[in-house]
Amino acid sequence: MSEQRRHVEIDSRDDIELRLGADVVHLPIVRSVAANIAMRADFDLDAISDLELAVDEACATLIALAAAESILGCRFTIGSDEIAMTASVCSDHTEAPSTSSFGWQVLNTLTDSAVTWSEPDGVGSGQHLVSIELSKRRPVVAG
Amino acid sequence: MTEPAATPHRQHSHEYEHLLPLFDELAGLDADDPRRADLREQLVTGFLPVAENIARRFSGRGAAKEDLVQVATLGLINAIDRFDPGKGTDFLSYAVPTVMGEVRRHFRDSSWTMRVPRRLKELHQDVSAASSTLAQRLGRAPTPAEIAEYLGVSRDDVYQGLQVGHAYHPASLEESVTGDDEGMRLAETVGEEDAGIEGVEYHESLQPLLRVLPQRERRILALRFFENLTQTQIAERVGLSQMHVSRLLSRSLARLREGITEDEG
Repeated sequence: MSEQRRHVEIDSRDDIELRLGADVVHLPIVRSVAANIAMRADFDLDAISDLELAVDEACATLIALAAAESILGCRFTIGSDEIAMTASVCSDHTEAPSTSSFGWQVLNTLTDSAVTWSEPDGVGSGQHLVSIELSKRRPVVAG
Repeated sequence: MTEPAATPHRQHSHEYEHLLPLFDELAGLDADDPRRADLREQLVTGFLPVAENIARRFSGRGAAKEDLVQVATLGLINAIDRFDPGKGTDFLSYAVPTVMGEVRRHFRDSSWTMRVPRRLKELHQDVSAASSTLAQRLGRAPTPAEIAEYLGVSRDDVYQGLQVGHAYHPASLEESVTGDDEGMRLAETVGEEDAGIEGVEYHESLQPLLRVLPQRERRILALRFFENLTQTQIAERVGLSQMHVSRLLSRSLARLREGITEDEG
């Protein structure tokens, strides 16, 4: 599915990246960074909360698949009209998370786009890099 | 918060030795065997002093003693249900961290309501009230810039007012904002609580999970994810602030995830 990854036109030096242990105890940090970014981009309160919930759901989904002692990487890309996040973990699972679950319906409802994919990690460890990418557009404000 | 030592019972574990064979007996029964309930009850009663002991260690921190014992007992029941005697671990080494985890979660979720600094609490209430007013006027959720302009404060103040909502328990922030109004409007909505959940593909597998949620949270979840209303629309319909709806959704999703993970495990 990697061909579906989105490319936002913005200088990559403005991206924000987090690397944390793949453990739910770190979720509040990722969540508050997401909310903070959306708030400072002056998204409306619904969109701020939606992005925060979506990032929480996506990262929790990946943490559940993560190999022991692995790292969760999150990259936020801030465009003029959209905020995107890509998160990845190393996993012993070869499959990307199911997109027919309730959790995926939650992601779909909260975002403008959500995709997931899995690829061999490239160093021959037998593990896979499982990723979720989502984006939230700035709602169109009338007037 | 400093943690009490995690090994209060090791030296006394012989007190519970007579209970240990019950775990093997329980593990040997079929899932629907009627004797399970009786065995489980014997175990809960037998190990109750463990829960009480742990609850006592957390007392004097602002939570009611009865609540602590109840929460610790809940942790104990979870530990009994999940303990696998075949894995060769000692029950107490398994149960003590589980019970302590449950008590700690209780503190995290509910009992630091008095410590919100007054200025932050006021900022939060101003931002929350302004966002409700503006939402009505605009017909959509306002942005932080719009709230700042409306209140005549800086954007940084609005950011702080918004963020404090994430750090503190809703009860400490919302009561004076919504008042009795909430109870009244909630009463009106009773009866249509599960509208929107019916007929959804996930109905079967979700239904038992949704049951762990209080009725109001279940309804809010259905309105957001099955009827696709925005948080601002939901807030208006159930008579809460958008920020309160946001927190309830966040908590509900986390609880559902826990439930799903446990089912798989």
